[in-house]
Amino acid sequence: MKALCIENLSYSLGEKQILEKISLQVEKGEFIGLIGPNGAGKTTLLKNINRINKGCGDIWVQGKNIKNMGDKELARQVALMKQETQITFPFTCWEVVLMGRYPYLSWTKQETEEDREIAQKCMEYTDTCHLADKKVTALSGGERQRVLFAKVLTQEAPLILLDEPTSNLDMAHQEQIFRYSRQFCRNSGSIVAAVHDLRIAAKYCSRLVLLYQGRIIADGPVAEVFTSENLQKAYGVECCPYYNSLTGEWDIYMPECKKTSKKGKVHIIGGGGSATALLRELYQCGYQLSLGIVHEGDSDTAIASLLGIEKIVLPACAPLSVEAYELNKKMIEKADWTILTSCAFGMNNLPNLQIAQLAQRLVIIDDSPIEKRDFTNGQATCLYKELSQKAVMLKSADVINFLQNKENKGEIS
Amino acid sequence: MMKKIIFFLLLFLVAGMILAVGIGTVFIPFTHIIQLFLHSWGLGSNFSFSHGEREIIFFIRLPRVLIAVLVGAALGICGAVMQGMFRNPMADPAVIGISSGASLGAVTAICFGLTAISLYYLPILAGLGALLASLLVCSLASRGGKIPVLTLILSGIAVSTFLNAVISLILSFAYEYQLKEFLFWTMGGLDNRRWEHVDMVFLPLLLGIGALLFFSQELNILLLGEEEAQALGVNPAKTRAKLLFIASLTAALAVSVSGTISFVGMIVPHILRLLVGPDHRVLLPASALGGSVFLVLSDLLARTAFPLGEVRVGIVTALLGAPYFLFLLSKAKKEGEAI
Repeated sequence: MKALCIENLSYSLGEKQILEKISLQVEKGEFIGLIGPNGAGKTTLLKNINRINKGCGDIWVQGKNIKNMGDKELARQVALMKQETQITFPFTCWEVVLMGRYPYLSWTKQETEEDREIAQKCMEYTDTCHLADKKVTALSGGERQRVLFAKVLTQEAPLILLDEPTSNLDMAHQEQIFRYSRQFCRNSGSIVAAVHDLRIAAKYCSRLVLLYQGRIIADGPVAEVFTSENLQKAYGVECCPYYNSLTGEWDIYMPECKKTSKKGKVHIIGGGGSATALLRELYQCGYQLSLGIVHEGDSDTAIASLLGIEKIVLPACAPLSVEAYELNKKMIEKADWTILTSCAFGMNNLPNLQIAQLAQRLVIIDDSPIEKRDFTNGQATCLYKELSQKAVMLKSADVINFLQNKENKGEIS
Repeated sequence: MMKKIIFFLLLFLVAGMILAVGIGTVFIPFTHIIQLFLHSWGLGSNFSFSHGEREIIFFIRLPRVLIAVLVGAALGICGAVMQGMFRNPMADPAVIGISSGASLGAVTAICFGLTAISLYYLPILAGLGALLASLLVCSLASRGGKIPVLTLILSGIAVSTFLNAVISLILSFAYEYQLKEFLFWTMGGLDNRRWEHVDMVFLPLLLGIGALLFFSQELNILLLGEEEAQALGVNPAKTRAKLLFIASLTAALAVSVSGTISFVGMIVPHILRLLVGPDHRVLLPASALGGSVFLVLSDLLARTAFPLGEVRVGIVTALLGAPYFLFLLSKAKKEGEAI
């Protein structure tokens, strides 16, 4: 039995179609992150699930159509936590949490000892017992959301809807609410959460559903949904999602592109992380980039993959092959400018210096003296000196300005 | 703590009622009152009260006190319900047109000479007017089954203004004695209330108050907001409509026998909220009892405190209520928040 099953749900507000034929199935134990830009219909979808909005289509919760459920019956199956609940009357936290038991009360509407025990346990779980007698109006944002989360848990519904529950919390409290939520799902509950923060959605949710203009445009595990095509379509800005192997979390890089005019082609010969910052900056300026021979595991390689820059990559520590040499040669021929970064030279990448000689217009970044970067008993220094005869020598801070000047003078294609 | 306050309010009410039936132009000692009640229940012997005292208590003061208890309870609980429902501690039954509707009913009864025919006409027309006016306000404010609070308050103001204009129009053609009678009625008064009045409203008011008490937990949940309420299984539109209907009916019944009495519905729930907190399961019964105590004592003051004779109870409640209202305002200003 599915925790939630939505079939062909459409909802419109006046003329405006908010949701269009949404179909979604949620299994027990899943933590669904509903992502998408403002106005994509995330909140409306949640509101339809607990019948605050009534659209066209069918929704089953725990195998039962919500059309055939009473208000209290539905409340025993689906709970909701909102971004900001304005409680203007000074209830104590204990009273608020206990309200979660309302769907279970008999006609006398008095809570039983069992109800109180459940509320107590949920407050212990969210670490809010010490707040029980405090007025809910006097709490900080983080405390209030934890109290409201305790209330939602007290409702004991197998499906919880979270509508941006942490948008106004600091990052520590934000993570805390998500940890509680993930734990709830591990104990075989299900959650559908509308989340603005894509990073936190990717970190905690077991599955992401991307909404755009009232339709689901991607649905699946993080790696499937987090593609630059999907995110660019939904958010309308250039997004580069990537898996950060240092933190084991997904992150999104949004380049600040100033692609005003068409810029020239630049080939970069780098390695060992020496080209990372330069690649990023030139990319943001809109140059068409290619990257000379680099190795796997290098941060230069990583950023080139992230930004989709054409590159020649060899396995880590492998010597340069003829094939790679030929490819690199072609790239240099196509480029308007070639830049040699101030990387260290060993026997593995010594041929990079020879390749640089092929460039018609060469810039050498020489932030530190070549002697200190030479691990080839002087061979590199020798080649380098030779190269510097016909190249423009610059510090890395000046590269962008230099290229810009050349471009203004029309010296790039 | 909560139960203690309810208990104390009950104690106050009983004490207030005994005081109210005892004190007046003729003072009747406490022992005589007890004996009178024992006698009427067929208990005890050796009574020392006079026949006159018996007449005064059973035919003049007791019905009046009972009406004060019932009307006070109804206004108190309706005020608490309105304040909870509108999430506004300043709301009272008047915001949905109860007062102006009742006034129109009353002015109709007075100016068309119906009061001379039977004493039932004025309360019936006043009650009917109040009910119709509040239903009109609610239906004008409803938007596809929902009643937004702001729209409700605005349409309440519009309907009240319109009805007051109609009242003024009728009064322009009225005789002077009718004008005076109406003016007295609008001040609210419990003088000359008789068993007929008690019989008329006793059961319906008890039912109304009981029904409102039944919805106390729903009121708490409505205070969390519309969506939160729906998520907890309380349909906000339906519940609010039910509450509005019962509260309008109850308040209409109350003003039908007492005239418009201001400030009971506003200050009583407010004071009690400070004492017992916002939980309506305690606040509603407390407001009902508090309203009774307040009105019984106000009526006692109205009868006895003024040297030139009795004044209308509405004057006393307003004299006590308005300064309290200002006190709240100044306190809110100091704390820098809206009330």
